[in-house]
Amino acid sequence: MTAPDANLPADVTLTDAAIAEEAATLDAVWRDAPGFWGWLTSVDHKSIGKRYLITAFLMFLAGGIEAAMMRAQLARPENAFLGPDRYNQIFTTHGTTMMFLFAVPVMNAMGLYFVPLMVGARNVAFPRLNAFGYWCYLVGVVFLYVSLFVNMGPDTGWTAYVPLSGPQFAPGHRVDVWAQLVTFTEIAALAAAVNIIVTTFKMRAPGMSLNRIPIFVWAQLVVSFMIVFAMPAVATGSTIMLAADRAVDTQWFNPAEGGDSLLWQHVFWFFGHPEVYIIFLPALGLITPIIETFSRRRVFGYSALVLANITTAFFAFGLWVHHMFATPIPELGQSLFTAASTLIAIPTGVQIFCWLVTMWSGRPRFTTAMLFVLGFFFTFVIGGITGVMLASVGFDQQAHDTFFVVAHFHYVLLGGAVLPLMAAFYFWYPKVTGRLLSERLGKWHFWLFVIGVNVTFFPMHILGLEGMPRRVYTYLEPTGWGSLNLLASLGAVVIAISVVIFVVNLVKSYWVGDVAGPDPWSSSGLEWATSSPAPSYNFLHTPIVGSRHPLWEPIADAPVLVGLRTDRREVLLTTTFDARPDSRNHHPNPSIWPLYVALCMGVTFIGSIFSPYFILGGIGLAFIGLAAWAWQSSHPAGHELIAAPEAEPV
Amino acid sequence: MRRLRPAGSVAELPTVTFGHRSLMWWGTLGFMTIEGWTTALLVACYFYLRQNFVSWPPLRTPLPSLLIPSINLAVMLISIVPAYLVERAGKRLEALPMRRWLVVSSLFGIAILVLRWYELWSLNIRWDTNAYGTAAWTLVGFHATLLVLDVADTIGLTLFLFIKRMPPKTFSDAADNSFYWYFTVCLWIPLYLIVYVGPRIF
Amino acid sequence: MHSFFHPTSPQAHVVTTLWWWMFGVGGAVWLIVVIAMLYAARARRGERGDDGLLHVSESTHHAMERTVIGAGVVTVVILLAFLAYDFSVGEALAQHPDRALTIELTGHQWWWEATYENPDPSKRITTANEIHVPVGRPVQIKLRSADVIHSFWVPNLNGKRDLIPGYVSSQWFTADTAGMYRGQCAEFCGLQHAKMALYIIAEPAAKFDAWLAASATTAPLPTDSATRFGEQVFLTASCAVCHSIAGTPAMATVGPNLTHIASRRTIAAGTLANNRANLTGWIVDPQAFKPGTLMPKSTLQPAELQALIAYLETLK
Repeated sequence: MTAPDANLPADVTLTDAAIAEEAATLDAVWRDAPGFWGWLTSVDHKSIGKRYLITAFLMFLAGGIEAAMMRAQLARPENAFLGPDRYNQIFTTHGTTMMFLFAVPVMNAMGLYFVPLMVGARNVAFPRLNAFGYWCYLVGVVFLYVSLFVNMGPDTGWTAYVPLSGPQFAPGHRVDVWAQLVTFTEIAALAAAVNIIVTTFKMRAPGMSLNRIPIFVWAQLVVSFMIVFAMPAVATGSTIMLAADRAVDTQWFNPAEGGDSLLWQHVFWFFGHPEVYIIFLPALGLITPIIETFSRRRVFGYSALVLANITTAFFAFGLWVHHMFATPIPELGQSLFTAASTLIAIPTGVQIFCWLVTMWSGRPRFTTAMLFVLGFFFTFVIGGITGVMLASVGFDQQAHDTFFVVAHFHYVLLGGAVLPLMAAFYFWYPKVTGRLLSERLGKWHFWLFVIGVNVTFFPMHILGLEGMPRRVYTYLEPTGWGSLNLLASLGAVVIAISVVIFVVNLVKSYWVGDVAGPDPWSSSGLEWATSSPAPSYNFLHTPIVGSRHPLWEPIADAPVLVGLRTDRREVLLTTTFDARPDSRNHHPNPSIWPLYVALCMGVTFIGSIFSPYFILGGIGLAFIGLAAWAWQSSHPAGHELIAAPEAEPV
Repeated sequence: MRRLRPAGSVAELPTVTFGHRSLMWWGTLGFMTIEGWTTALLVACYFYLRQNFVSWPPLRTPLPSLLIPSINLAVMLISIVPAYLVERAGKRLEALPMRRWLVVSSLFGIAILVLRWYELWSLNIRWDTNAYGTAAWTLVGFHATLLVLDVADTIGLTLFLFIKRMPPKTFSDAADNSFYWYFTVCLWIPLYLIVYVGPRIF
Repeated sequence: MHSFFHPTSPQAHVVTTLWWWMFGVGGAVWLIVVIAMLYAARARRGERGDDGLLHVSESTHHAMERTVIGAGVVTVVILLAFLAYDFSVGEALAQHPDRALTIELTGHQWWWEATYENPDPSKRITTANEIHVPVGRPVQIKLRSADVIHSFWVPNLNGKRDLIPGYVSSQWFTADTAGMYRGQCAEFCGLQHAKMALYIIAEPAAKFDAWLAASATTAPLPTDSATRFGEQVFLTASCAVCHSIAGTPAMATVGPNLTHIASRRTIAAGTLANNRANLTGWIVDPQAFKPGTLMPKSTLQPAELQALIAYLETLK
């Protein structure tokens, strides 16, 4: 890195005219192409992030409608609203949608949208891979819901245990839909994870050493590593094992030929347990900046929070057998998993203690975002405690596969992931749209949602311990489960109302919300150092960072590095640990190839359900797209080319 | 918002870098981690299923043949040489030698794929006969998909180099391609031992 | 009837006791966290600095450190204590006597097949969905599956065990109180997972022995023309394709053994009370009660149906 360009006077801030001119030039280079084609070919992480967020939110609503249908059916004993076949498809789709199509993608989306802004970068490391991931995800969404509507929805639970989901007991294509859906969502999650890891390692603003990155970025980084090691397990299980057993008669799970039903459970839960932490840890990461901002304090225990994150991530890979305590696993093995499942509460507890003392040492201001954070403490801790209870083998053997577990995981998912996510929506919506959400509607949303969640799910603890198993389309009247079920269903109505209010708030505020400005909350992260919404190029010049809370540094002006080219898309790469400027990288222009290749993957995987020829055809078509993608890398507009080897002297 | 104050310029920084300084290297590393980990999971499944059998291969199942797999292993190990020479030429920014060795690599790749096809059929068991057959076919077959990607990437890169003009970052891309080549070959060594040697010893 | 809160075996007792401890301590922890949160939310500390942020003194910062570390230590201690308790419960549950009454339970979609083994083949009993056990004697349930994974769960008596094809697993319990205990399949097993219940009837030793002896007998011969005709219907219509009645040529094991069907309190795996109306309705159209069940609708004429019911009612 050189001293400031001789033409630029040192230690003088840029004039407004200079800034305006630069902005126009950069925008011309970085903005999407116009119109619908521009939308299809966009490689802007904000554009893709917004799509992800909207699609994931629509999936939350879809999953919610499925839940409402389930609660309607279970409100009374022997109800006739949904027969067993339809109910089985609905509960399977509910779980599959919420886990694969809402929870993980929404956290990925938060990362893809905000990590570049929080680390001072113009885009993610691999913009076309980002687009490709989204399109794969969208293909999966459409595929699942079309299948549901043509009565081909998967119906063996989001966990698809064999042999029920195997070729003998699940004829037809329903389970194949599930298996291929998993593949799409896995590809999207892995693409997002690789992007977030490399962006965080190589594209941070100078001065933002690893021990200065925001807590949310740490959470995304840690979770991205978890995705890399967890997702392959479910893809292996669903595609290489289950789909293969069903389509080409492999014998993975057939005990008659040496296969093993328990193998499925091991492979699935090796993914499945980390999966819930993949959902939960980014949510925890969202809490820190919100508490800091509204308590007007730097969070207590940055290092402890980071270490807690990393420890939880490691532990999360050592818990999976606690989903299998009712199976014939040796007792010694069970004990190890009990220990891990109990002790994992410690790092999460430490995080909660750090947040509580931070709030205590400040003067918290209770905007809607902060209310949701309080709601998180109130609700999640219940789920965390029932989780520690379930770690005990003896108790788990009573509560496993009952409504007690349903209560537990809804408490931790709704309390521990959705409440912080809603807080985050209220906090960052202004950054994405330029407008503030209504605080009045927000408070209604908050109270109804928290009350609704507790009224719906608390009774389920009791139902489970009173003998009610899960995944039942109905129950008999003499069981006595009717009144608590009715109460739970009424709670669901309250949740539905609160979500409607939320949607109204999101839509209405987009048009008539208060204008936010770049930094409505006087927060500390780099994302607040640019306009709301951020321009296509994110930052006019590369910010230089001197601490963990850049916008709270006591300096008069903002030091930046100039020198990136403005005639083509160029980003700054920095060193991994200390973020010293290292090189400049040419970033790709908008491209249609990610969409094309994603559609080819769709043809390949969806077609494989019906005929193996689709695999060959789909892959063949995909290779054309990949070649074009690579070609575009090699021959980008505005890039100087050197002569081909022939012209070179030997 | 604070006013912006230029405190330095990055205009002189290089635009082509190698190894961990390049984004593509990280992308390649990410892909290798994912595929390598998937392979490890499949190996774990292989050994898990083995517990269900008294003998391995199971009774009345022949051992996989050693001839073609061993030839293929040898060819793969030798193919590291041209891959290395591609990387070296790339780091030296020598386009002509790089292209020459990429052609050699491509030919090796095609040979490896042909041999791999015969290798699958010389496992002496079908994938649908029993869990052993399934597991053995999967280890060899999954690795074959990595080979296909590797060879396709190599051939694609080679073809690009016969076109009139290429950007300087092609040197870096070729080095990354070699990186992936080493990975694919090295990953095969333990798999070879597990599938072909293991059942003969244990 | 099927509540974890009414344990009737030492195995269930030890877990329910653990539960109450966990509930008490867990509830207290939650309450403390919520109170701490409300307190923290209302606290007004810190001095506003020039940077618009709040700052606390060195000593306050140290107090915060001590609080977090202290809370962390307390958390670790509580968790380790429960871990030790969990392990001791696990130890207790793993104890089992060498000798126990052994019942083999095989899970089917969507009913339970129970066999009381005996070295004397004439004393072997095969029944379905309703199991009798003696009070005070250890019972071993050996669990197998004929098709998909099911789970055996009778909350009053013990936690659940999965029935997994290719595996045989075992569970022991000792009923300490006489009573009728309901259980339900607890692993999603398809269309009628919701209606795959079973009953364990714990009775004093003498009554149990009497039941065992009675169950080992073959079905009584039909005594009048109606029941003779009914037996004929059973053997010649499709019933005998799936069901067996000891003492008759019907020996199929696809569906539940009906030798003593009339003495069972429920039919269709606990779905319906065993009375004439329900039995008739079930035979006429099982799909109306358990859509998807493997038993097809009947094609019997009314006279045949009446005779069949009369015959079945003699099978006590």
